[in-house]
Amino acid sequence: MAKLNLIQAITDGLRTALRDDPRVLVFGEDVGVNGGVFRATDGLQEEFGAVRVVDTPLAESAIIGAAVGLAVSGMRPVPEMQFAGFIYPAMEQIVSHAARVRMRSQGRFSCPMVIRAPYGGGIRAPELHGDSPEAFFVHQPGIKVVCPSNPYDAKGLLLAAIEDPDPVLFLEPMRIYRAFRDEVPAERYTVEIGKSRTVRAGKDLSLFAWGTMLRVSLEAAAQAAERGWDVEVIDLRTLNPLDREGIAASVRRTGRALIVHEAPKTAGLGAEILSLINEEALLYLEAPVGRVCGYDVPQPLFALEDLHAPDAKRIMHGIEKVMNF
Amino acid sequence: MTVGFQLPDVGEGIHEAEVVRWLVEVGDTVKEFEPLVEVQTDKALVELPAPTGGQVLEIRYQPGDLARVGDVLVVIGKGEERAESRSEAGGPEASAIGRVLATPSTRKRARELGVDIRKLRGSGPAGRVTRDDVERAVQAVRPLEVLPPAVATEPERPAGMEGKAAPSPSEGEQRIPLRGLRRAVAQKMVRSAFTAPHVTAFDEVDVTELIAVRREANSLLAGRGVKLTYLPFILKALAAALRKHPYLNAHMDEDRSEIVLKREAHIGIAVDTPDGLLVPVVRHVDRKSVLELAEEIRTLSERARSRTLDAEQLRGGTFTLSNMGPIGGQFATPILNHPEAALLGVHKIEERGVVHGGEIVIRSRMNVSLSFDHRVIDGAEAVRFINELKRLLEHPNLLFLEMSAAWS
Repeated sequence: MAKLNLIQAITDGLRTALRDDPRVLVFGEDVGVNGGVFRATDGLQEEFGAVRVVDTPLAESAIIGAAVGLAVSGMRPVPEMQFAGFIYPAMEQIVSHAARVRMRSQGRFSCPMVIRAPYGGGIRAPELHGDSPEAFFVHQPGIKVVCPSNPYDAKGLLLAAIEDPDPVLFLEPMRIYRAFRDEVPAERYTVEIGKSRTVRAGKDLSLFAWGTMLRVSLEAAAQAAERGWDVEVIDLRTLNPLDREGIAASVRRTGRALIVHEAPKTAGLGAEILSLINEEALLYLEAPVGRVCGYDVPQPLFALEDLHAPDAKRIMHGIEKVMNF
Repeated sequence: MTVGFQLPDVGEGIHEAEVVRWLVEVGDTVKEFEPLVEVQTDKALVELPAPTGGQVLEIRYQPGDLARVGDVLVVIGKGEERAESRSEAGGPEASAIGRVLATPSTRKRARELGVDIRKLRGSGPAGRVTRDDVERAVQAVRPLEVLPPAVATEPERPAGMEGKAAPSPSEGEQRIPLRGLRRAVAQKMVRSAFTAPHVTAFDEVDVTELIAVRREANSLLAGRGVKLTYLPFILKALAAALRKHPYLNAHMDEDRSEIVLKREAHIGIAVDTPDGLLVPVVRHVDRKSVLELAEEIRTLSERARSRTLDAEQLRGGTFTLSNMGPIGGQFATPILNHPEAALLGVHKIEERGVVHGGEIVIRSRMNVSLSFDHRVIDGAEAVRFINELKRLLEHPNLLFLEMSAAWS
């Protein structure tokens, strides 16, 4: 089995999809000749031709709009947003059209497309290159949102998303594109959408994270273990629909919860998870549910971005607060 | 104006009591008759109510401290005086919002255990009721302070038990502070062992017929949900034997150098509880039927194990019975329940080969160990008492003759 980093696993997933299903099309800014700014589509145009791996103009609304038309017409488009922060011009296409096709046509049409978008800070990029916009899209019914935290899940979730009959926003944690390698099977496999994964079992506190925040959360959990606190770390993997049962079951067991995300705190996805815990596990709580998040500011430029995203120290502080309540 | 609340004589002629748990903190406002503190006297927990309403200004004895009758335990301020507020604890005071502070899981636990959380005094931050508070409340109607874990620091050594500087616990040992019931048992045993010269006599009783009587009684009672043990029969036989041997049913009054013969048979039953040994007393054994005794033994044992006995149920015994049968062992040399003059230990019933009517046969036999205070009783008298007890237990039909044998 090959050991791949996260970006290689995505390329492998795209290649598998293009090879197995002639309806799959990959397009976006610099994905063809250039092979993608992060090399996600490296070699794909050579292998599958310029008709299936297409360079587009710098026009996100047009990219998604074209994808909607292709999807409704029976294709399986996989458009790329070069950075998740560039997705806003395409909001109208996503929210007004992609997410509504199934309902608007009373189920006669669906919109099977996967929008790939690298998200999050930490790579010293300019403005609009480091956003974590998951909450905007989780709020919109009709579109699924997934976010892998490791190479294995990246390939498996990508293939599951491409097979899915409805639109899926596929958020890629660009900060850890090349951070580490995993065993990734060469053959096709999928990771079920809607299922979280317990990365570290524990009995004192349930920590929920996804994408870039997984590794720092595990670091914090290791520090907490030195203090005698047994932290369970759960990778949500799918942000919409949330794994309600998995989240509630863990909190019922531990009685304490902490949610970690890079996006700003106010109306972030943590608030939704907190509400879910309130609805499903209130009577088991030993302490208020904690949140460690980005600050309520637009994603800062690179001089300050390390202060913005939660690190192990801030997460450890959050754990302390919940444990010591 | 301030009122100093003195440790009252709580009715057992005691001189001192151990503070077990404060139900209020400095700064709290209390109402008249609101429970203030739990103190432990001779094996009983007693809750003391506030003598007056006001604000708690000063608490002078900490849990574990021994106070003498008349000592001021707590100072309560009436009127204008106000103690330092403890608002720095953070969060609103329970009283300020008119609700009990507790996490949802604690409330759920309280509901499951049937504990009214509004009646609890929280020990957590800002007066929050914790899960421990709820679970302690359910251990007994009157909650008993749980002994601190072995490694917990022991900030103050109880008065009267001074020693050298507190040793720090090492890896190979566990140090358990001698508190509460354990301390009461320890003190009582020392007093008994080092004042009364103990002698223990052993004998063996043939209970083959008693077994048959009990079996028959239980089969006749089967429909009534009653199941007799041997204890009520033994109690009944004891009452009869004690009547004939009054020196075995006596106290030694050391202050006046007098032997006090008791005209009533109040027999204490030693009960093994998780907290330690308790001896609730069955009153007027002579006047009660075997069935009544069975019911009373059952109730007293249950209340001993749940620590809900009243002080009254733990005092006034004239003789003690310790049933070691369920646990095992052939003989024991029990320490007397001071100031009683005698104590009978009964051991497990076994089938043994014995000579009976000129033949070796298998009979059911039970060992007994009788400890007595040699200041009060001589060996010959003790053996005569055992002989009488044996006669009654070996011929249980004789107990019929004792049925209405109330003493007075």
